[in-house]
Amino acid sequence: MCRKLARYVLGAVLYPVAIIAAAALDEPPTSMFTFGAFGTLGVVHSDQPLADFTSASVEGVGAGHTHAWSAAVDSLVAAQVGAQITPQFSAVLQVMSEQNADSSFTPHVEWAYVKYQFTPDFSARLGRTDLDVFLLTDSRNIGFAFTFVRPPIELYNLVPATNSDGIGFSYRLPVADGTDTVEASIGHAHYQYPISNSQVTDTADASQLFTLVDAFQRGAATLKLSYGQTRLTVPTLEPLFDAFREFGSQGIDIANRYYSSDRMVRFYGLSAAYEPGDWFLMAELGRVNFNSVLGEATGWYVSSGHRFDKITPYAIYAQTRPNTSTRAPGLDVSALPASQAPAALALNAELNTTLATIASQRTVSLGARLDVASSIDLKLQWDHTNLGENSHGWLSNLQPGFRPGSSLTLVSATLDFVF
Amino acid sequence: MIRNSRIAIAFLAISPTLTGAWASADVVAVVSAKSAVQALTPNQLADIFLGRVSRFPDGLLAVPIDLRDGSPERDQFYAKITGKTPAQIKAYWSKIIFTGRGQPPRAVPTDLDVKKFIADNVGAIGYIDAARLDDSVRAL
Repeated sequence: MCRKLARYVLGAVLYPVAIIAAAALDEPPTSMFTFGAFGTLGVVHSDQPLADFTSASVEGVGAGHTHAWSAAVDSLVAAQVGAQITPQFSAVLQVMSEQNADSSFTPHVEWAYVKYQFTPDFSARLGRTDLDVFLLTDSRNIGFAFTFVRPPIELYNLVPATNSDGIGFSYRLPVADGTDTVEASIGHAHYQYPISNSQVTDTADASQLFTLVDAFQRGAATLKLSYGQTRLTVPTLEPLFDAFREFGSQGIDIANRYYSSDRMVRFYGLSAAYEPGDWFLMAELGRVNFNSVLGEATGWYVSSGHRFDKITPYAIYAQTRPNTSTRAPGLDVSALPASQAPAALALNAELNTTLATIASQRTVSLGARLDVASSIDLKLQWDHTNLGENSHGWLSNLQPGFRPGSSLTLVSATLDFVF
Repeated sequence: MIRNSRIAIAFLAISPTLTGAWASADVVAVVSAKSAVQALTPNQLADIFLGRVSRFPDGLLAVPIDLRDGSPERDQFYAKITGKTPAQIKAYWSKIIFTGRGQPPRAVPTDLDVKKFIADNVGAIGYIDAARLDDSVRAL
């Protein structure tokens, strides 16, 4: 029902935007339309050949195992058309090509919405809009807009969706010599994710997605608080719990605790930044509770940098920490008939493999951004990651011989542009 | 309060080129001669030009007007009110534009265009070289 509605809303939004875009090509462009594009060309090297590093958990392959040097991790390109139809009424369509869960670069619609500006400080957006959670969530693909090579995955991987189909409201008011912006949205998101060590992908479904964000800005200081909740279904994990339910009451107890269909997920964010111009200090903290086998985790980072003319060296310290156990005893095999023991042990192993995907890692990053032209930058970044005990962190495509709890070093170079 | 204005008066007396707390001899923020707006802090100017507020402190709708990319007055103005370089301002607008949240102020090529725009809009605010001030606009 919700998904049908989302499709309908998206269709209703895309249709007029497509007509407007087509009309714009027929006639000389007028001031009603704005066109833009941005992108990143990047390569990253990982010294861990037995697993892949990806910049988002929804990417298919990465650096390390699949390619020692990968251009697929950070590279992307996007084009946007905006139309100011009346002073109050506008529309935006953005199409993006980046690595998908199936490792293709098939473009997708990142945003497609109509916006109505009731007053200069109150607006509503209907359609596919950005999901606003942490400071860089809405701009995480726009490399030119931030200093780092990529927003620290230790925090940003906690909420993998970047957009939501629905309706959102934004209200801005002056507070204490600054500006406070409150945004609320309700919608539906679904995203493809890769199933590790296979060519198969699946679709996670986040329905009844609600977000409430408050951002306060005064001079160079920004403070942001966010809350979100959604009913998440990760279908790949369900057969495991169906199997547990075959084992009587103890199996049903395990399934009821860990199942991953239509579970209430809650996420929280607290962000602060101070950017007076020639230096910056940024810190963010987020927590997500999946209420399922995916567990609960906290991510945070602190970062600082200083600009010397056109070059800005910076450092980041980031961590993801599980708040729930990444191991479980599973079925008590001694309470089962001997004939069921092998199946029960296999299920216990599968449960623990899944629990181990709750990431634990910490990363030190050093890098520099160089503004080479008015709309082009070059970035270099070195990251050293220590994986938590028994954890493979955010790595994927694990190969035989991979040691959980080990460490890895990345070297990344990117070129970002906007026009 | 009284003491502060005394200090301000003394300060103005010894620095005749200063017309406001933030202004210098080079680039000044200007509004229409008919505007009621008398003074703005650098933060208030930054909020208006970065699209963070839509109104002057007295409630009048503010319509900022920019000089084109690459103009030295523009770079100097933003450096003064935000401490940021042209690349940093461009990075800021990239985020606003490509998340669909807004568009930068309209940009015109010369300070003559700025003055013409301000003459036609009582809520307009721009910046020009102080040497080009005339009766149509008032420096803040």
